[in-house]
Amino acid sequence: MKLELGYIHIHDIQLAAASKVENGVLYVDAEAVKKLVLEDEQIASVEVEVAHPGESVRITPVKDVIEPRVKVEGPGGMFPGVISKVDTVGSGKTHVLKGAAVVTTGKIVGFQEGIIDMSGVGAQYTPFSKTNNLVLVVQPVEGLKQHDHEHAVRMAGLKTAVYLGELARSLTPDETETFETLPLKESMDKYPELPRVGYVQMLQSQGLLHDTYVYGVDAKRIIPTVIYPTEVMDGAIISGNCVSACDKNPTYVHQNNPIVHDLFAQHGKTINFAAMVITNENVYLADKERSSNWSSKLCEFLGLDAVIISEEGFGNPDTDLIMNCRKITEKGIKTVIVTDEYAGRDGSSQSLADAHSSADALVTGGNANQVITLPKMDKVIGTEDYVGIIAGGWDQNKHEDGTIDVEIQAITGATSEVGFNYLSAR
Amino acid sequence: MLERMVVFTNNPMVRDALSQRDGCKVHYAPVSYRQILCLARDAVHQGHKLLTHPLSGSVKPGETPYKSVAVSQEKGLLDLPSLSLIENSIVTCDKFPIRSKSKDPSLQEDFQLVDLSLIMSIF
Repeated sequence: MKLELGYIHIHDIQLAAASKVENGVLYVDAEAVKKLVLEDEQIASVEVEVAHPGESVRITPVKDVIEPRVKVEGPGGMFPGVISKVDTVGSGKTHVLKGAAVVTTGKIVGFQEGIIDMSGVGAQYTPFSKTNNLVLVVQPVEGLKQHDHEHAVRMAGLKTAVYLGELARSLTPDETETFETLPLKESMDKYPELPRVGYVQMLQSQGLLHDTYVYGVDAKRIIPTVIYPTEVMDGAIISGNCVSACDKNPTYVHQNNPIVHDLFAQHGKTINFAAMVITNENVYLADKERSSNWSSKLCEFLGLDAVIISEEGFGNPDTDLIMNCRKITEKGIKTVIVTDEYAGRDGSSQSLADAHSSADALVTGGNANQVITLPKMDKVIGTEDYVGIIAGGWDQNKHEDGTIDVEIQAITGATSEVGFNYLSAR
Repeated sequence: MLERMVVFTNNPMVRDALSQRDGCKVHYAPVSYRQILCLARDAVHQGHKLLTHPLSGSVKPGETPYKSVAVSQEKGLLDLPSLSLIENSIVTCDKFPIRSKSKDPSLQEDFQLVDLSLIMSIF
């Protein structure tokens, strides 16, 4: 399966009378976006705001971040099984508004969700301080239940991203990049001398605000399966989770997974990036056994020599991570795990809630318990009311001068377990 | 297929949702998050197997007061993987300081709902 991504570089978003892309500026008709979002009768009102890199702006609580894309050639459309029909995506051509993002915010439950600061110390910890963000502040109709509210906000973000992506349909990309994964036999024949490397991606699948969807299917109901990485670039995986925002993958991160991109960068040179497997992180322990049995069986079946396994979350998923690592290693396949740490504020505690001797090669996204002080911002999109009660915030953490102490756990994407972040030991 | 289970919970919403469910016994105790883990550990020592992960959910211990953990109704020999998991979970729980916001009356329903959603995800 082969996909060409055509990047249209966006360096600014402005609200305007008509939506269009011109000279790298994304002009957005806010009324058109509002009309689209308000088609959902469960949404009472929506505000459309813009946040640019470097501005004194805080967006919180953040639910999801989505990159506007559009399929211009090949089967299917963006977010198959959710917005578009369930055609198999991942081939042909897709245009990307690179540098733009849709951010959804709004109170769904009275805690958690993330912070994106567009400047200051906090901006150094979130990748979404570097994107031009169109922010939707979504208010539900009175009495809407939390599950329905989460769904409504999720859909509002996806629909808006599709609306903006459409603006790129007839544009000429500034830059293109091509990704190809061959079917099993052709892949083996083409690079017989290179190690066959696979990627096992673990997906949050625990419940309300802890879910992920694959072609519209709740990931807790899947058994591990093979997916072409380019399908994910076309929106086959979407986020329904944001609790402890530091190590959850917004939809944007699925669309731009750095592990996938780095493996493709070495494909045909030092490795043969042969396959991607997705699995889940359920609450029921027998599900964990079943899923890790399947993921390891698939890795063996695919003839992989080495596998990178990425986690999403902490605690419960640590058990899945270690089961996957141990069982895949027992198949004679080398493994590297990618995770983050809850190692206490001084970093001296045990990092994960589970361990095994097979987990002897690990990449960390950082320590989520690290404390930083966020400066006061001139403007808050959403509300700061929950900063003291979101994951990573605590009591009396807001000072008189407007600064706020938080663990980086509260910052969207700060300790990304697929490496879509800035923390490094270098 | 789900095993017949005992659910230890301090969450009234879970108690109400599962008390009439086939194959489920609910052991409701209005105690702390950690004490629910300890009740599950005691059951593991008596030969019950853990059925759900004690650290389910991303709302951390100390942030939410609510926890629900399922163990098997059936008793056998001590299940060492269950023992290791519940002991590790208690050690992990102790790393997280208790936040007073976890007691904020305006948040209790949402905390309960998320905990309910986590345990209901197994059915």
